[in-house]
Amino acid sequence: MSLEAFTAGVETAVDVAGIERQLRQLWEKAGPTVTRASLFNLVAVCGSAEERERATRVIATVTLRHPCRAMVVTTQPDHVSAELSATVTALCHLAGGGGKQVCCELIHVTATGRSVERLGSAVLPLLESDLPTVMWHLGNICDASGRQPVMAERVIFDGAECAGVTSLRDINELVRSRPRVQHVDLAWTRLSLWRKLLADCFDDPHAAAALAGMEQLNIVHGCGAGAEWRARLIAGWVAAKLGWSAAEMRQRVVLECREDQDATALGLVSLELSGSGASVQVRKNFGECTATSCMMMPAVCGLPRRQAFELLDDAQLLSQELDHARRHPVYEQALALAAQWQASQTG
Amino acid sequence: MWTRSRLQNGIGVDKRFVIFSPVMENPFRDGLLSRRAAEPCAVVIFGATGDLTQRKLVPAIYNLAHEGMLPTGFAVVGFARRPKQVEEFRTELRAGVEKFSRFNPINPAVWETLAQGIFYHQANFNDDARYASLKELLAKLDRDRGTAGNRLFYLATAPTDFEAIIAHLGAHGLVNERSRIVVEKPFGRDLPTARELNEVVASVFAERQVFRIDHYLGKETVQNILTLRFANEIFEPLWNQKYIDHVQITVAEALGVEGRGGYYEQSGALRDMVANHMMQLLALTAMEPPTSLAAEDIRDEKVKALRAIRALNPAEVAAWSVRGQYAAGAIAGKAVPGYVEEPNVAADSNTETYVALKLVLDNWRWAGVPFYLRHGKRLPKQAAEIAIQFKAPPAVLFAADTTRPLQPNVLVMRIQPDEGIAIRMNAKVPGTALNIQPVKMDFRYGGSFGSRSPDAYERLLNDAIAKDATLFLRRDEIEVAWALMDSVRAGWEANRMRPVTYAAGSWGPTVADEFIGRDGREWRRP
Repeated sequence: MSLEAFTAGVETAVDVAGIERQLRQLWEKAGPTVTRASLFNLVAVCGSAEERERATRVIATVTLRHPCRAMVVTTQPDHVSAELSATVTALCHLAGGGGKQVCCELIHVTATGRSVERLGSAVLPLLESDLPTVMWHLGNICDASGRQPVMAERVIFDGAECAGVTSLRDINELVRSRPRVQHVDLAWTRLSLWRKLLADCFDDPHAAAALAGMEQLNIVHGCGAGAEWRARLIAGWVAAKLGWSAAEMRQRVVLECREDQDATALGLVSLELSGSGASVQVRKNFGECTATSCMMMPAVCGLPRRQAFELLDDAQLLSQELDHARRHPVYEQALALAAQWQASQTG
Repeated sequence: MWTRSRLQNGIGVDKRFVIFSPVMENPFRDGLLSRRAAEPCAVVIFGATGDLTQRKLVPAIYNLAHEGMLPTGFAVVGFARRPKQVEEFRTELRAGVEKFSRFNPINPAVWETLAQGIFYHQANFNDDARYASLKELLAKLDRDRGTAGNRLFYLATAPTDFEAIIAHLGAHGLVNERSRIVVEKPFGRDLPTARELNEVVASVFAERQVFRIDHYLGKETVQNILTLRFANEIFEPLWNQKYIDHVQITVAEALGVEGRGGYYEQSGALRDMVANHMMQLLALTAMEPPTSLAAEDIRDEKVKALRAIRALNPAEVAAWSVRGQYAAGAIAGKAVPGYVEEPNVAADSNTETYVALKLVLDNWRWAGVPFYLRHGKRLPKQAAEIAIQFKAPPAVLFAADTTRPLQPNVLVMRIQPDEGIAIRMNAKVPGTALNIQPVKMDFRYGGSFGSRSPDAYERLLNDAIAKDATLFLRRDEIEVAWALMDSVRAGWEANRMRPVTYAAGSWGPTVADEFIGRDGREWRRP
């Protein structure tokens, strides 16, 4: 394999059993002009060629900020032939200051047919020792592959990709069944701005005192895939923080789907929390790419807060989560209550 | 979870949580990494038409607005001499933001919201009537924007204006319990003037209201010194006189005085860089672990470290310091003039552009470990670093076989550019002979974390608005540092030490090599 092709990002087929040895030879050839960097192992789990392509694209961006040994593992169990194949390549960029190339390894492993059963034995030895492992599950984590044993301390997925009547319950069960694993839901990450803007409104002690009187939550969301799912999750969060039960949520929470083009694409549109003597509204202004929040109550400054937002793509969301290796107990709390609420509604 | 009563009583409280995470008051803050929203605030910038406002302050304020870090009720009042309409002022500031913000392009809606809270107050710094009208303007903002007397006064002017501004603020009742003042360096030019300035400030503001800004402390890599030391168990046990031979702190600049000859003639390298930035680097390197990350606890430990530095008598100054001044030479292949050929510099100037100092700390941890400080202009390249050189290992095992003496381990914290940490250690060269060579393990921020970090002013302004003084200097830090600098200057005068010339583009005067060489050591090449 040529060093130039390797560092230029060209995928080169290798023998699965000899991946580590071949990588070592390539780095020796590269010499001191290239710095190999790795802070963790990132294993992207894909179920189709489309997901493989998406994972590869995202990882190429993520490694600019989070150097790691990346593996894209694609399983196609329905394939007739049982094959296990692999390619390796390097993702390189110029580091600031020194002008050196900083490179990360990207290994693709594809298993088809019965060879899917042997996939773990191929991937486990490739995890770099003494580094944490993050598994990024593309697609629906509630399907069979998402229920496989995990080889990582953290599992990242997008709950909104499992949108469906029982998905909140399914994901809640999945998360609770693996208490030693940190579950990171990118749908929750997308709600960070909403949570921050609502929290900002209640930092004022006068506003915080009004929390006990809050009794109504209205959420307007788009009608696109996953939008209602996100609305339910944030409703679960608000309710959990206000001490509402699932039964109280049935009385107090109103979700409204709006057939608006922006909203359909983008999830939540606005959130209004109100009660005796105070109300808060948080909304996104899609045209100007800003979000505003405003607290309306006596003795609290009623000027709106306006900040910019950008629609985060997969790479930005993943990067945000990789910045902070932490559990999300607040998410788990919100998910559990949202699942109970959903169950109580569907009977 | 702490209860409210425990917080109010101050019993068992982790001060970090008091500042950053009032979870008990606002349940929605639970689990969020962003700090609580600051209280509505008016920032009054004195010297608002100057370069600092245009290039640093307002772009930093915009960045905070962009990220939703400003309070809901927020206002900026520009206070400056030049006649100007508010719209003109806003237009100029917007141009600065578009040029210097880290968000490019800027968000017009965010700017417009911010601009609605920007005002201009034309005034001479000594004009009583205009301070009275400033008071009226701030009172109006208190009503209209909910700032409720929460004011941050920012002195972005020449130091000669500080006294008049502070006195007028006090005389006109513009300062209340909720006010703070941000003071830019230089904090005086020696101990008497620093004390004088501190007294002027103290006559109007309590020390807890004073935020002395040293932008070096806003740099990520400087903040990382504490993380490296106290978040890694492997370093702290070695961080003392038993294992460390000496410490070298280098701040090298390839630039000359860049048109600021008039200022530099009054300042010189010792006052301009060593007295503040380098003393802070020394303090962070030498301090004991603080009891918490709260501002006062960190500053207490820094002051203790600075107080442990032995004051130098004239004889020690002669032996333990070097003054240099750059002569004509070349930087990156380009000819550059000498210092005395720069505009507004006297032909017989006695100002130093290079300083090397040896300092010792008389405390348990650092007894017998010299700290060598070196700063100069027109050195071969820009570099700021702290190098911890460990003692050489006993060579009993390898003395007979190896072809060269064992090199001591060195830990280098690079502040700029190419921020990172490197460790030099010894390894056997592959082969049948026992050949040992030093190798370097190099961690680069750019390689491991990408290059995203907020500007130092953005971080520091955010802290000042949120009343967090951790990264600002306290009065006693300044005064202890100046007392030491004064002893150096007194020694130079007593010994009639004039700066020794060095060629621009070299690593300083040759006497600096001899100076450290007398201790059996040599300067690192950054």
